[in-house]
Amino acid sequence: MPVRLLVLIPVAVAINLALSAAVDAVALPLFLDTTGTILATALGGPVVGVITGVLTSTVNSLRNPTFWPFVVVQIIVALYAWVAARSGWFRSLKTAIPAGLMLGVIASATSTPISYLIFKCATTGGIALTTKLGQLLGFSPLGACFFGSFVADFGDKAVTFALVTSVLHALPRRTAARFPLALRAIGATS
Amino acid sequence: MRGLHPFTLLTVAAALPALAWIGPAPWGGAAALSAAGVLVLSLGGRQSFRVARAAVFTATPLWFFLYLLQGSGGMLATGLRLTTMIAGGVWLVAVLPPPRLIEAMIAREWPVSVAFLLAATLSAIPALRARAGHLVDAQRSRGLRTRGGPLIRLAALRALALPLVLSALHEVDERAMALETRGFDPQVRRTPLAPPPDSLAQRISRWGLVLSCVALLVWRIA
Repeated sequence: MPVRLLVLIPVAVAINLALSAAVDAVALPLFLDTTGTILATALGGPVVGVITGVLTSTVNSLRNPTFWPFVVVQIIVALYAWVAARSGWFRSLKTAIPAGLMLGVIASATSTPISYLIFKCATTGGIALTTKLGQLLGFSPLGACFFGSFVADFGDKAVTFALVTSVLHALPRRTAARFPLALRAIGATS
Repeated sequence: MRGLHPFTLLTVAAALPALAWIGPAPWGGAAALSAAGVLVLSLGGRQSFRVARAAVFTATPLWFFLYLLQGSGGMLATGLRLTTMIAGGVWLVAVLPPPRLIEAMIAREWPVSVAFLLAATLSAIPALRARAGHLVDAQRSRGLRTRGGPLIRLAALRALALPLVLSALHEVDERAMALETRGFDPQVRRTPLAPPPDSLAQRISRWGLVLSCVALLVWRIA
């Protein structure tokens, strides 16, 4: 792996974990904890993205080991971002936001079995409460768990995709051209 | 405990939650949590207290959510398993400094890029978090509105996140050039300065733990 891509990985992991400060400042119910993973994939390809996702879960687990089982979600996000980058879905917000919403569905479908089997859906406060709401609305246990994950992930991934698109377009062309996938992701080359 | 080889510590921390999950509820979880408790107590003094406090603070909300969603029976069965996972994790962080793990990896001839990734990530996160804090303060002092309707907040989020991410990406080139000028080559094998000592007894213990988990799994399935 080229040194530039190797250096990109720790930076992308740090982006995943540092954006919570910006989210806290505006008090929105978002995580943005896959921004670095998606960005690393859009710049460097799937291997860089998957390593970023795995490393993010590993480092997060040092703080709270319950994050580790969700490493699968980070891997799925990286693979999806690769498809998005190859297809040029980061070329504008009009294509990025629907792609992000679709990722929200995929991510919640991926995290639901993990959350249900390991945590009985008691992961974070917001998800636990929306799962309880799902139970009260009459969903099955698994359905309520999906409802909780879906509410958390749907908007989050759309905002994340929009943010990554803004970053890719704000990058100087000369910088973007140094990464193998960046120009294709924004539709600058085929 | 700190003298043990990093791979032994990792195996113990991984085996505890595995045994808790594979074993029958709630006794499997209770036994594994007791073992984790013994490990935490073996740290001694203030460190035991700090590690136990971190585990309790992390686990308590989960017990509450479990009670909310599963009632008391489900709370006990899953809570014991999750608390074992948390206690094992915080114990591992307390006894295994990352540089020691990196030395062990280099001694086992793992690719030097793996060691670099771990070390660089652990140093990059606090730096970028600190920058994020400064950026929030700077943008607020320039009059950025971070409260109001969702659209105002989303615009504020963009104004905070975009410069943070772009500044981080601009560093990638600088760091890559710095590494290349110092002759960094991921293919070259490194010699560890102080490789952690390993022993036959520890190797046997590690395999014993792995085989115990497999045997328990086979027994549970049969």
